[in-house]
Amino acid sequence: MKKFKSKKGLLIAFITSIFVVIAGCSNNDAASQSSEGAEGAPTSIVMSWPRDIGSMNPHVYNPSQLLTQSMIYEPLVSYEEGGKLKPHLAESWTISEDGLEYTFKLRENVKFTDGSSFNASIVKKNFDTIMENKNSHSWLGVINVLEKTEVIDEQTFKMVLSEPYYPALQDLAVVRPVRFLGESGFPEDGDTSKGITEPVGTGPWVLEDYKKDEYATFTRNPDYWGESPEVEKVTIKIIPDAETRVLAFEKGELDLIYGEGAISMDSFNHLKESGEYKTDLSEPVGTRSLLLNTTNDKLADLKVRLALQHGFNKEAMVDGITLGIEEEADKILSTNFPYTDVEVEAIEYDVEKAASYLDEAGWKLPSGKAVREKGGQSLELELMYDKTDPIQKAMAETLQAEWSAIGVKLDIIGVELTVQIERRKAGDFDVDFWYNYGAPYDPHSFINVVAEEGWGVSEAHSNLPMKDELDKQVDKALASTNDAERQKLYGTILKTLQEQSVIVPVSYMKKTVVYQNGIEEFVFPANRDEHPFNEMKVSQ
Amino acid sequence: MISSVQMASKSKWALILSAVILIVFFLVSILAPWIAPHDPIQVNLAIKLSSPSWEYPLGTDHLGRCNLSRLLYGARVSLGFASLIFAASLGFGLIVGMLAGFKGGWIDLLLMRFCDGVMAFPNLVLVLGIVGLLGPGLWQVVIALMMVQWVYYARMIRGMVVSMKEQNFIAAARISGSSTGKIIRRHLLPNVLPPIMVMGTLEMGWAIMDISALSFLGLGIQPPTPEWGAMIQEGKAFIRSQPELMIYPGLMILFVVISFNVLGESLSERLGVKRRY
Repeated sequence: MKKFKSKKGLLIAFITSIFVVIAGCSNNDAASQSSEGAEGAPTSIVMSWPRDIGSMNPHVYNPSQLLTQSMIYEPLVSYEEGGKLKPHLAESWTISEDGLEYTFKLRENVKFTDGSSFNASIVKKNFDTIMENKNSHSWLGVINVLEKTEVIDEQTFKMVLSEPYYPALQDLAVVRPVRFLGESGFPEDGDTSKGITEPVGTGPWVLEDYKKDEYATFTRNPDYWGESPEVEKVTIKIIPDAETRVLAFEKGELDLIYGEGAISMDSFNHLKESGEYKTDLSEPVGTRSLLLNTTNDKLADLKVRLALQHGFNKEAMVDGITLGIEEEADKILSTNFPYTDVEVEAIEYDVEKAASYLDEAGWKLPSGKAVREKGGQSLELELMYDKTDPIQKAMAETLQAEWSAIGVKLDIIGVELTVQIERRKAGDFDVDFWYNYGAPYDPHSFINVVAEEGWGVSEAHSNLPMKDELDKQVDKALASTNDAERQKLYGTILKTLQEQSVIVPVSYMKKTVVYQNGIEEFVFPANRDEHPFNEMKVSQ
Repeated sequence: MISSVQMASKSKWALILSAVILIVFFLVSILAPWIAPHDPIQVNLAIKLSSPSWEYPLGTDHLGRCNLSRLLYGARVSLGFASLIFAASLGFGLIVGMLAGFKGGWIDLLLMRFCDGVMAFPNLVLVLGIVGLLGPGLWQVVIALMMVQWVYYARMIRGMVVSMKEQNFIAAARISGSSTGKIIRRHLLPNVLPPIMVMGTLEMGWAIMDISALSFLGLGIQPPTPEWGAMIQEGKAFIRSQPELMIYPGLMILFVVISFNVLGESLSERLGVKRRY
């Protein structure tokens, strides 16, 4: 065994040198192969995806992928740019005065791919199986308040809530679980949580061929009720490694790479600068923030939280680490979400101000020491980060260096993602990275977790003097049936959160896409989880 | 005839060269605070990913830290902790091996079956398991590697002690009234140590590889302390624009591990040590 080991040593040593060679070659590849993608340009698109697409069941979560679920299945209402809701499978709807009854007029002449028609009874059947497994969907607000569903007539469907909940329609726009499976897709007992017989949807795409962990091909649905996409065929190749995806793209095997974190920022800039391909960045899909946990006595003091926020150069950090791909964030929620256009005062980088805040808070720098102290305690905090996320890690190291300059000792600890989530949910952290949920979930999911315990965000805010009042405002906003009142409540809530600086906005995250010149138009979907193929235009 | 002479001279040069390289690395790691041009954890995003200059001879990394300084301090971690692992597992292996070999009987049986058990697992898997239990961190890695490596020393020492025990010079010592402690100290230890040192040299290379591998996976040293494996991991994100971020620490590991291997091999050849693995 040992003998084998020493050979392995040399082997690993050589692998290192092979890396050198690969790095050297890749530049040449880019130049010689790039023409290929442009000339082929059929109406078929090949895209990569990091994971297998899963079972294509509209009512379950991982390992089913949102991207492909959204290709086959459709919602009653769709989420559009800026948070507007458009009729989709529902032609129109009315909401009762008290905000409890939602009556949908369903679109006529919509057929499932098995030939059956889309009507109120199939909608109810889908709702029934979702409500049978209520526990697995309770993260979605509307499921918690849904009391009953009714078939009024062939094309009219009614949903009754137990209490008013304004974002009910937004919740119906999400990719899962409230989308509709055709009759013949249901298993015998009608419970889809254990599996479906076949993926029968109303969407513009039909699954044609699928090999687990290798590829999936989709063709246009010939009987689609709406406008058919221009692209005829979409092939999704499963390529787990990011650098392999980039190499395949450069060889012309892929027409586009799309998604969040689907490509390293370094590779993105490399492809962009090569000038051979088209690249684009989406609107912010979410905010990368820091959570300062007030259950820690040191962080319970607003002055300390403000000092920390003044104490690092956000612009340099975001620009430096994300290579200019993410944007410095001053607001907790970016303004492309509804109700978020609230005036806030940006907290500038100001080391002197940070130091004076800490002095005021009683944290003094003893002579000859580098860390501030108060009452025999030193100002030491712990930041946990997902150790597989290079951006979190680099930001953690930067914060450590920057905060040490104002006399704050930051211990940074890399943990597994599952550990990070567990500890966050338990409120067991000093400082943590946190992201909001994005469209169509925000802003209502965001304010919900500020009030609702069990997700770490409410816990982090728990020592704020106005926490009770804040919770009441959140409940009121979610139940409000009046738009102007809602806007006002959101304004107050966001202002308080911003002033209290428990959530420190760092940057706005964006989706990236790189595509071959054969694709003429690419539009990012407004819903973070939707697929981008409907709007895509290709040159003939 | 000629070929064996050639072999000898070749291995002599290999031995000298690898020894010199290693001495240089050890000196570097001891003198790092004095010879490094910058503080290795000083972040300065304004000069991130800069190319080599007089001030930063090997350029800077993604946070604007001096690459050269990080490499020099990285030598400290790799060599320092590898030596520590070596010393600790040797010490422990020596005690267990001596005890088992000299006492024999059920103690021997018990200890050796335990060693067999540990050896039955692939090393890295076992180390990963232990680090998984203890949690990530350099000290946990050191403990895990120690827990895995001492058995090889113990096995080998025990084998040598068992065969030596029967030889006449030990019998003579015993007849002339030497105590067990004295026999071990005066007669067994001097005979056991040379081959063990050879084995240790090879093991050092391994310890360095393992520390780097675990740090690469994020289990070993925690940032911001510089370490070669962790530096490769950090450089991975910039493989296109700045491949040298991976190449520098990769070359360091390559040189040190090859040197240890060559040194170990040529020593074992010269000392006529048969490796029993």
